[in-house]
Amino acid sequence: MSRIKPCVSLYSLQNEYLTKSMTLKEIMQFVKEHGAEGIEILPDQMLKGSPDISEETLKEWKGLLEETGLKPVIADVFLNTNLYKNRTLTHRESIDLLIKEIKQASRLGIHLIRLVSMVPYWVCEPLLPYCEKYDVAIALEVHAGMAFDIPETKAFIAEMKRLNSPYVGLVIDTGIFCRKFPRVVREYETLNGTSRQVFDYIDTLFEQGTDLHAVLVKNDYQYPAELEAAIQSEHDRMFVPLCDGYENYDFSVLDEYMPFIKHFHLKLFEMTPEGPEYSMDYKALLTYLHEHNYDGYVATEYEGNRFTLPGKPFVEKEQVAANQAYIQKCLKEIQG
Amino acid sequence: MFDNNVFIENTCVNVEENGAVIGYEMQTNITYYRGIPMSMIEYVKVAADGAEVPTEDIRISIDRVDWFTQKEAETVVDYKWEYGEPLYIRVLKDGGLSKGTHKVKLTVATRTAYIPVPLEGIKEREIEIA
Repeated sequence: MSRIKPCVSLYSLQNEYLTKSMTLKEIMQFVKEHGAEGIEILPDQMLKGSPDISEETLKEWKGLLEETGLKPVIADVFLNTNLYKNRTLTHRESIDLLIKEIKQASRLGIHLIRLVSMVPYWVCEPLLPYCEKYDVAIALEVHAGMAFDIPETKAFIAEMKRLNSPYVGLVIDTGIFCRKFPRVVREYETLNGTSRQVFDYIDTLFEQGTDLHAVLVKNDYQYPAELEAAIQSEHDRMFVPLCDGYENYDFSVLDEYMPFIKHFHLKLFEMTPEGPEYSMDYKALLTYLHEHNYDGYVATEYEGNRFTLPGKPFVEKEQVAANQAYIQKCLKEIQG
Repeated sequence: MFDNNVFIENTCVNVEENGAVIGYEMQTNITYYRGIPMSMIEYVKVAADGAEVPTEDIRISIDRVDWFTQKEAETVVDYKWEYGEPLYIRVLKDGGLSKGTHKVKLTVATRTAYIPVPLEGIKEREIEIA
């Protein structure tokens, strides 16, 4: 039997935090009010001094958890391999940074770390003893544009299978399950000068059940004639690679990975007035997860904020609220 | 993508030290969605009324206490530019900006953990020096 639980990534409310419209406390209270059970946090975003947070910050964090009753599900961790301008970090330096993150997650009461896409596979084995000691699992994010067909992700998955430990797994971002190209991206980028023909071409790919990333990979990153014909300007040519991050996989791609999947990001570009998200069919995904006995959290990750049109208000709170209402309704229907 | 974060409104002012105006200063939020050590600031550029400011005249700080040239900041890994907190940018120029209206353009780029090109944001503001 599945145990799918609603969660919100605080990433969704980043502009509220950046502009000091909401404090971390207010954000957590908002999330609680909208019925989420868990939260996901980027320590680098909302906890000062991460990964060396002060005792004072830690005390405040624990107080907020106690007050709201929210479960701190997962910490989104980055690896600054380009910390220095003149060189890349060595293996040992990279591993040491991640050990710090594991220790911090443990202090925060968090038992799962999301490693950002492209984190190299060779960190896993040296980190395992620390994962076990601190009871913190590490899971690579499988994100559109950097998903199952990318060498770095493939190498991580091979290592994950080889180690076969409950402390090494995957986080799936549902941007790999787009059935339509997000119209908020189209509107925003049209204002920036991208031609209609480029979006029309991408839309036809989604209508055919594929996506730009898949087509480019299949063509060895050479642009098909139809894409060349759609490109009207140098601006278009520079923009096309940025359309790589919206993929159209079938849910069955997850079949073999289900035992390793620790968490989901419900990527959110736009909740439409009628209910579902514009590009993704969450209900179908949640049904798939239910049928596969998924026991874990699904976290709202709103990213439409990046595509807020000039002069228009940010609608982070409204979008998160609408998403949680829809997800919780779906879960009730599916799980009872 | 992060242009909206650049150059916080109403922050551009002349800076006075020991009775003399030594230059002007402005603040910006980060062109990223998380905090990073100062060493990951790829570059900061300022142009005033169409004229590019030489890099050596620019200083940056997260606390207005320790100021760094951009070359120096490349090794500053212990001070973090936090998300939601400003970076202070100072242009050393005797007398600062003259009274009246100026167009000041700020460009900020940060290195990120997995995106191969730095994330750049640009904002030009019309500012008033009283």
